Amino acid sequence: MRSLLRLTVYIRRYAWTFGLSIAGILLARIVEGMIPIFVKQGIDAISSGRADLGENAIDFATASAALVYPAIAICLCVLVQMSVTIAYRIAMRRIGVNASYDLRNRLYKHLQLQGLQFYSQYSIGDLMARAINDINLCREIIASAIRMTLILITTAIVGMSFMFSLSVELTVAVLLPLPIIGYVAYRFSTRIYRQSYLVQEGFSRLSTFVQENLNGIRTVQSMAQEDREISRFSDVNVDFAKRNLSLFTTTSFLGALMPILAASSTLIIIVYGSILVQDGAITIGTFAAFFSYLGLLLWPVREAGSLVTQWQRGASGTTRLFEILDYEPEIQDQPTGPFPETTGRVSIRDLSYEYEDKGKYALKNVSFDVEPGETIAILGRVGSGKSTLLRLFVRLLDPTSGQILLDGHPISGFPLAVLRERVCLVLQDPFLFADSLGDNIAYDDPNREHQEILQIAHAAALEETIEGFADGLDTILGERGVTLSGGQKQRTALARGLVRRSPILILDDCFSAVDTQTEELILSGLKQVRSNATTLLVSHRVSTARHADRILVLEKGSIIEIGSHDELLAADGFYANLERAQRHSVHAKSAEDGA
Amino acid sequence: MNTPNSSADSAAEGKKLDHSIFDADIQGQAMNMLYLKRILGWIRPHRKLAAASILLVLGASTLAILLPVIISRVVIDGIIFGSPDALMPDFGMNALTSWLANLTGWQGLASACVLYALFTIACHGLYHFHRVSFARTVLHSLADMRLDLFTHMERRPASFYDRVAVGRVMTRITNDVQAMFELLMGLGMLIGEFVPFFLALFIMLAIDTKLTLYLLGAIPVFALITYFFRQATRRVYRLIRNTLSQLNQNLQENLSGMQVVQLSNREEHNLQVYGDINETNLKQERYAISLESSYGAFMDNMVNVALAVIIWIGGGAALQSQVSLGSVILFTQFIDMFIRPIRVLGQQYNVLFRAMASAERIFQALDWLESVSEPAQPVALPSRLHGKLEFKRLSFGYEPAEPILHDVSFTIEPGEKLAVVGPTGSGKSTLIRLLGRFYNFPDQSIYLDGIDLNLINSSDLRRRVGVVMQDFHIFSGSILDNISLGNPAITRDKAIAAAQSVHADAFIEALPEGYDTPLVERGQNLSQGERQLLAFARVLASDPEILILDEATASIDTETEQLIQSALKTIMVNRTSILIAHRLQTIQEADRILVLKNGRVKELGTHAELMANRDVYYTLNQLQFQDVTLKTEG
Repeated sequence: MRSLLRLTVYIRRYAWTFGLSIAGILLARIVEGMIPIFVKQGIDAISSGRADLGENAIDFATASAALVYPAIAICLCVLVQMSVTIAYRIAMRRIGVNASYDLRNRLYKHLQLQGLQFYSQYSIGDLMARAINDINLCREIIASAIRMTLILITTAIVGMSFMFSLSVELTVAVLLPLPIIGYVAYRFSTRIYRQSYLVQEGFSRLSTFVQENLNGIRTVQSMAQEDREISRFSDVNVDFAKRNLSLFTTTSFLGALMPILAASSTLIIIVYGSILVQDGAITIGTFAAFFSYLGLLLWPVREAGSLVTQWQRGASGTTRLFEILDYEPEIQDQPTGPFPETTGRVSIRDLSYEYEDKGKYALKNVSFDVEPGETIAILGRVGSGKSTLLRLFVRLLDPTSGQILLDGHPISGFPLAVLRERVCLVLQDPFLFADSLGDNIAYDDPNREHQEILQIAHAAALEETIEGFADGLDTILGERGVTLSGGQKQRTALARGLVRRSPILILDDCFSAVDTQTEELILSGLKQVRSNATTLLVSHRVSTARHADRILVLEKGSIIEIGSHDELLAADGFYANLERAQRHSVHAKSAEDGA
Repeated sequence: MNTPNSSADSAAEGKKLDHSIFDADIQGQAMNMLYLKRILGWIRPHRKLAAASILLVLGASTLAILLPVIISRVVIDGIIFGSPDALMPDFGMNALTSWLANLTGWQGLASACVLYALFTIACHGLYHFHRVSFARTVLHSLADMRLDLFTHMERRPASFYDRVAVGRVMTRITNDVQAMFELLMGLGMLIGEFVPFFLALFIMLAIDTKLTLYLLGAIPVFALITYFFRQATRRVYRLIRNTLSQLNQNLQENLSGMQVVQLSNREEHNLQVYGDINETNLKQERYAISLESSYGAFMDNMVNVALAVIIWIGGGAALQSQVSLGSVILFTQFIDMFIRPIRVLGQQYNVLFRAMASAERIFQALDWLESVSEPAQPVALPSRLHGKLEFKRLSFGYEPAEPILHDVSFTIEPGEKLAVVGPTGSGKSTLIRLLGRFYNFPDQSIYLDGIDLNLINSSDLRRRVGVVMQDFHIFSGSILDNISLGNPAITRDKAIAAAQSVHADAFIEALPEGYDTPLVERGQNLSQGERQLLAFARVLASDPEILILDEATASIDTETEQLIQSALKTIMVNRTSILIAHRLQTIQEADRILVLKNGRVKELGTHAELMANRDVYYTLNQLQFQDVTLKTEG
């Protein structure tokens, strides 16, 4: 519940509006409570008029005249209540949407600051759920729960005051059953909340099943599993219908039980009220007014339970949301040092990266230097620390100890934006946005010239791809547009990196789906385009690595070999073995067959 | 030779299907009676329950009308004033009370109270059973509809799923059917509101025609205001839904590509774009709030205005003794029943339009008849095939204008292992997909043991052709379920034996519940290599005569790689096998190698023969095949 207090910031901004709204709620309730009084006066006027007149009827004009005052008064009350209600409803709901607007922007901004650790901890589905549902819950707290609670309290107080002022003994009698009604409503509302959760869960089971099934439709059909899948779906489907029905039955039962319980209060008015009328203790108008007040009071009694659950849900939503908003970004952008021009000279000093679970190192005491314009190939098994090393260069991760220096200046001193402009990392997974091909290439700066993009596309061997599309660079990618092949995706991602013309380019195994010929074509093209730039690239292929100035072999987070192709062959270590294996396996079979 | 397909050729083949229709947004459909009629088709099997539900609401409404009559006519006029207006109808309530009073010996008031209590319980009880029976009708009908829809989609061919987004199909089965639920429940609510409305109207007319007509005059005004208000909100809510889904899409995409965003320094620009949509959404929301709040408060208070009218006019009439006081109070009690139907109708207005769009999507899917043509007289397959495959001048393209395979002819002998290699886009995957008859291709192109493939039922054929694809699908269920796939012939022992033969038992036994370990969506609790082994176990257990393998390209650690290669040998024993190979080791397992390039057979022969040719295969061998993953020892 404490987390709800965090929302007060979003209300305090509109303190005046909020305060006026509360006053409005109170005013509306008082006016609302006055209406039955005027109805009572009207009814009393009629009954006393009839009593006075006996059996002699009066003409319509005179009769109506006696009722003009209550009728006008009711109309005035209605008018005041209506305008005040409109005003405070608009005001409070607007505070609510303003809050959700602010929260969305705040969350978006905050999510952009988060690093890899955060994203390994929270799945995208989870974050989306928080962004959609939990912000909605916060908004509902501000826009609705607060308002309803205030209305509920004021209605109860004002309604009871009016009733007591009319007849103390009848009021006490009428109120007797209300606590029971309130208790029943509360018990049911928790049950309804539980059941509606089950319905939602059933729906998401249904969705998950359908999604899974459709994603695997090819397997389903090739294994001739359609009938089995349909019968499995039928189970989930029937289960969902059942859950829905039990929720609906409970809701409907509560809907029937409430008026039946409320009838006990009505009966009290009928019995005790008519005795009081006949005794002359109350007028027939008061008798009628009590029916109206009972109607007013029953509403808060009935709603209190569901309001409690709304507050509870709101509280847990706020907690979930602020858990994210309080998460301190692991990468801090606090530039301290100088950041003169980068020539491409890189020094790595005793670099170590320790995993969350202490004692396991992805990198341990790695040191090496790279000269400007040099190309370094990094080889190593899966899990040898290659990707971690590359991520440290652009501060997607921060090292546990050690430093990376650009021209002698530690990268932690650079503003993040500057660092990532000078050191460009192309990731292994070629993520593309559902945007045009051109916008995907010029992702860092949407204002790039068409010509420049084409030139880069050429360097990334994308020309044929672009020419193959009728819309060229304007071709939309993704679900609503064309789907690129794995190789085309990788080359687009590569172009996205190349377009930045950074002095240091880092390629994380981004040719895996590109055939060797094209890869060599791109790499030799790169040498020409970026003659002075430093390049680091991860590869599994000896054929790629051999073109690098130096080759660095990582094993379990440490450098085990470093040197040129020829040097490493001469050293007869990991690299030489690898080279033999790759050459050997190509020729193995032919040798066997030849024998 | 007969031509199996000539009659079965679907219209789908004649005209080109536009799959983009399937992905298009459908919004704000107008009322369509045809759709309603079709929806009723699902309700028909449950019509008895529906009829019972309507009878119940009639009974409940009648009682609901009589409750205020008891208070106003019996208690106020009859008991308090002691002068029931003889001219005014009381629907036998006075007589019933006095009968009850005589019977029990209680006073009129006490018997009226008993009557009131009984009526209240009966009335709300009946309403409850009405609602529940109606909900049951709707839920059962829609469960049927959803199952029909799922069944229909489950049988659409690969050519359909190649072109439409899975998400679009999914929302039809989930959300659009859910919109039908809202629609039908809304209609049920309308019945529950309009029956008492007409009963109340009838009684009010009987009591005071003039006053009732005054009040009736207000209804068109309410209706008109409601109509215009709903028109306006419909527009703005549609805009809001749009901006909301844009916001969600933007966030989702941004989260998925967060590393790229950060590396490209796009944070500020993206926040700007998001913020702009967010602001548009805010403006729309604020507008919607003004509309909704004004209308809501207006309608709430109109009840009170009507009350004032009743007291003024009706009260005047009562003073003139034209009507009894009880009648006036009765009117005040009925007023709610009078106005509610319009409000409810207004609430249902938006639901109706959204539901119509959903209905259109559902029927569009159900009417989508694209399918693989099945032979009119399928050939019954022998219990065991030899496994001889012949391709005779096969030409094929997904689009007739863009052929993928040209004039492909070759023969695979029973038990032979053929590796298919070729650059990306050479038609390898298409070739193996045709073997499962996932697409329509010309007759007399492919023969299995001398039978034209088009003469075999696709489901019969698929039982004989075991396919291991790259994106191997895991069904939620236990490991054992995933091996046996519900086939009763595959006992637990057989499944375990299959897993053991492909070396999958080691990792399975290591799982917390062994073979009964439940697998989650997409098999995320298994590694790539483990999934591959499981796929092998599945194929081995189902024991098909033909094996097709599209080898995974992903790199897998060395140990698992060795297991996979060894398992592959096991499952190919005594099976005609076609392997789309990416790894040298796999290619080396094959008897012959088929080289495809641009959809044509370039080379066919043993490894040694093709290496000697020094042509396409030779070059591919040098450059393209995945080398065995890094080995320390060469």
